Amino acid sequence: MKWLFVILAFTIIISGCYDTPYMQGQRLYQAHCQNCHMEDGSGLKSLIKPLNSSAYLGDDAMVCIIRRGILDTIFNDKDFLPKEMPAFKKLSVVEMANLVNYINNKWQVDFKEKTILDIEAAVSQCDTADY
Amino acid sequence: MKNIVSGFLLIMTITLITACNQQPKELPYLGNMAMVDGQEVHHTVGTIHHYNQDSILMTNADFKDVIYVADFFFTSCPSICPRVTKEMHKIYEAVKDNPMVRLVSFTIDPVRDTPERLKLYADNLGVDHNKWYFLTGDKEGTFELADTYFVTAYEDEEVPGGFDHSGKIILVDKTGHIRSYSEGTEPQSTPKIIEDIKILSDSYK
Ligand code: HEC
Repeated sequence: MKWLFVILAFTIIISGCYDTPYMQGQRLYQAHCQNCHMEDGSGLKSLIKPLNSSAYLGDDAMVCIIRRGILDTIFNDKDFLPKEMPAFKKLSVVEMANLVNYINNKWQVDFKEKTILDIEAAVSQCDTADY
Repeated sequence: MKNIVSGFLLIMTITLITACNQQPKELPYLGNMAMVDGQEVHHTVGTIHHYNQDSILMTNADFKDVIYVADFFFTSCPSICPRVTKEMHKIYEAVKDNPMVRLVSFTIDPVRDTPERLKLYADNLGVDHNKWYFLTGDKEGTFELADTYFVTAYEDEEVPGGFDHSGKIILVDKTGHIRSYSEGTEPQSTPKIIEDIKILSDSYK
């Protein structure tokens, strides 16, 4: 009985640690994305798109967005306002996989893990395609 | 025995009720006292001479009948600004029905942040231009002004975006004295400043 209790407690503690299976992805998100997209992925009104409801969740194209960044612009008749997301070219394939899996796991409804091969393919497609 | 218990309950109840009825304590005056014309006065914010997102000139006189929270930011900021703006927006939502309260965001990048650009920014945040002012003015003057709000802001080519600054949100009363602040980068400090805005606003009733 006593042992059962100890094992139970141990399991709870361990599962607490693995609350986020993508620890590196979480750290990368906090360091590079959170200032703009917020901790809860909600973005900032029409200025910064949310990630928690993004159409790119689960889509390999997200890799290319992260690699290339975005330069969008809002206009009115007098001036313009750049909506900019920096390009994250220096992330390794493993880092990219952990980051994308962290984001998808957090907000995608039917989360399915991307493999290193998926990410590699997405990166090379991104680097060769010209759009 | 029964009497003692009910007596005890009575005292407890009275204590609880009086505790609830206690007047909220007055907010402190932050900063050092200064001597003005031989009189000691509380620290006061500096000179506002800035244009808002509708290109209207605003000065300190425009703030003498309102209380406001202020922050310093710039629209092309790749670092902490969006997070601070997010907290400012939470405050906006919480106080927008209180006619005494305003929000003020000073840009520290006035060369790029023209009134027109600030208008685009405010419109895309979806906020009331008469409630939340986005102000642009002389660059050096704004850095000096930031100092009087206890915010550090300066140009630095080494940091992302070209400007370094802290993300404080400052609460200012009708006479230009600083009464509270929160850290715009720490969402858990936002409820406290919303509470303080209410205390300050109630103190004018
Ligand atoms: C400087 C602010 C900033 C940073 C930092 C930033 N982003 Fe973005 N991101 C944006 C903006 C702004 C948009 C929307 C651009 C637009 O409106 O087209 C965006 C859009 C996106 C989109 C597309 C969303 C959609 O549904 O269209 C994804 C995915 C994304 N960002 C992921 C990330 C990730 C992952 C990171 C961290 C590695 C990151 N962003 C860092 C500002 C930023």
